[in-house]
Amino acid sequence: MRHVELADVTAAYGRTRVLDGVSFGVDRGQIVSLIGPSGSGKSTILRVLTGLLKPQAGQVRVGGEPVDFADRRRLRAMRARFAVVFQQFNLFQNMTALDNVSIAPIKVGGRPRREVEAEGAALLARVGLGGKLKAYPDELSGGQQQRVAIARALALRPEVLLLDEVTASLDPELVSEVLDTIRDLAAEGMTMLIVSHEMGFVRELSSKVVFMADGRVVEDGPPARIFDAPQERRTRDFVSKILRH
Amino acid sequence: MGYAINYEQVFPYLPYLIGGAWLSLQIAFLAFVGGAVLGLLGAFALSFGGPLLRGVTRAYVTFFTNTPQLVQIYFLFFALPEAGVLLSSQQAVLLGMTLNAGAYLTEIQRAGFSSVRAAEMEAAEVLGFTRLQQVRYVVLPHIARTLFPPLSNHYILMTLGTSMAAIFGVEELTGRALNVNSETFRSIEVFTMTAGLYILVTLVANVVLALAGRWLFRARMRLL
Repeated sequence: MRHVELADVTAAYGRTRVLDGVSFGVDRGQIVSLIGPSGSGKSTILRVLTGLLKPQAGQVRVGGEPVDFADRRRLRAMRARFAVVFQQFNLFQNMTALDNVSIAPIKVGGRPRREVEAEGAALLARVGLGGKLKAYPDELSGGQQQRVAIARALALRPEVLLLDEVTASLDPELVSEVLDTIRDLAAEGMTMLIVSHEMGFVRELSSKVVFMADGRVVEDGPPARIFDAPQERRTRDFVSKILRH
Repeated sequence: MGYAINYEQVFPYLPYLIGGAWLSLQIAFLAFVGGAVLGLLGAFALSFGGPLLRGVTRAYVTFFTNTPQLVQIYFLFFALPEAGVLLSSQQAVLLGMTLNAGAYLTEIQRAGFSSVRAAEMEAAEVLGFTRLQQVRYVVLPHIARTLFPPLSNHYILMTLGTSMAAIFGVEELTGRALNVNSETFRSIEVFTMTAGLYILVTLVANVVLALAGRWLFRARMRLL
């Protein structure tokens, strides 16, 4: 059984259709990467999975169960199974790194503060920020902020981690520290859905690569096939353009 | 003919002037608190109100930010008795300053409302926060931090603005300075002393507010 499955999902912003019958699945323990030109709908898929955007048609199934987007409470329950890391980190500016990591498990999950904070400190240590528990976001570099955001996502104990172009707004020299953190998570068997333009990284880590264009899945398969022997013309064009750089 | 500076005659009035400064502080503080509450309501009305409420608020803000405060207080002092509301000069000053502050603080607070980052709200939403939790943990701390510095500045301005109460015969710092001046005729001494007291009052307020802002909201504020 697929852990997360999109079946023929269609979604729009106002009148602009951004997803046009998208289907693919993510198995437990898999790392699936979404690639494709800007505006192809990659990030929109993550917005649908987190309930920020309601699909117009099609079905999203999590653990085999269809998601009811109309029911706010059940939507929140589904949301709890995912955690998102955003391109712009989106940390709470008024909280320390530790508070950023701990607030949701305490206030939303209702878990005891002491336990959550101990775990949060351990998570921050794991992403290499054990010495920055009391630092505020504006005192941290972009790469450090993004690692706090990853720790914040992990603190939710998600079944699936969604990464939305997490290195796209980082200075080049900070990209590797964030990618290393994600590599560690992959080694531990975390299920991930990744939107990324870091093709080397996608190729190295993914169990499956989904190539999208114009709101549709053009082609999906193991990275070796997508990058070395793409079946579709559009995939070939995209891959050759990107790899030439 | 030279003017011989001589503070001896004026020094005995220092406690009297300090009493006036205390009244100035009280007026400023009361008008500021009243104005902040009015401004909060106004900012809510502008941000979330219907067309009528927005229109009325806009008219209020436009009137009070585009006419001199002195004229506003004159108006209250002379017009309200015609409507059967008799105000003492101190009440008229207080009311005028409150209404004036309310208009400015509406604008300041509205700007704070619209500065909340949509991205942080989205993060909170995805983390599973309810609406109320989003307001409590993300919106309010952000607004407090953003608004504290401009609100503090306005408070300082208002402290200095209280001097216009003297025109209506209120015996705050400037009013008392005028009294001392007409008794001693030592104008330079009286008014340097008065200016010194104003500086003292605003400096102390500045430091206290900056410390409070840094400590409570991590607001970026210079001590002096």
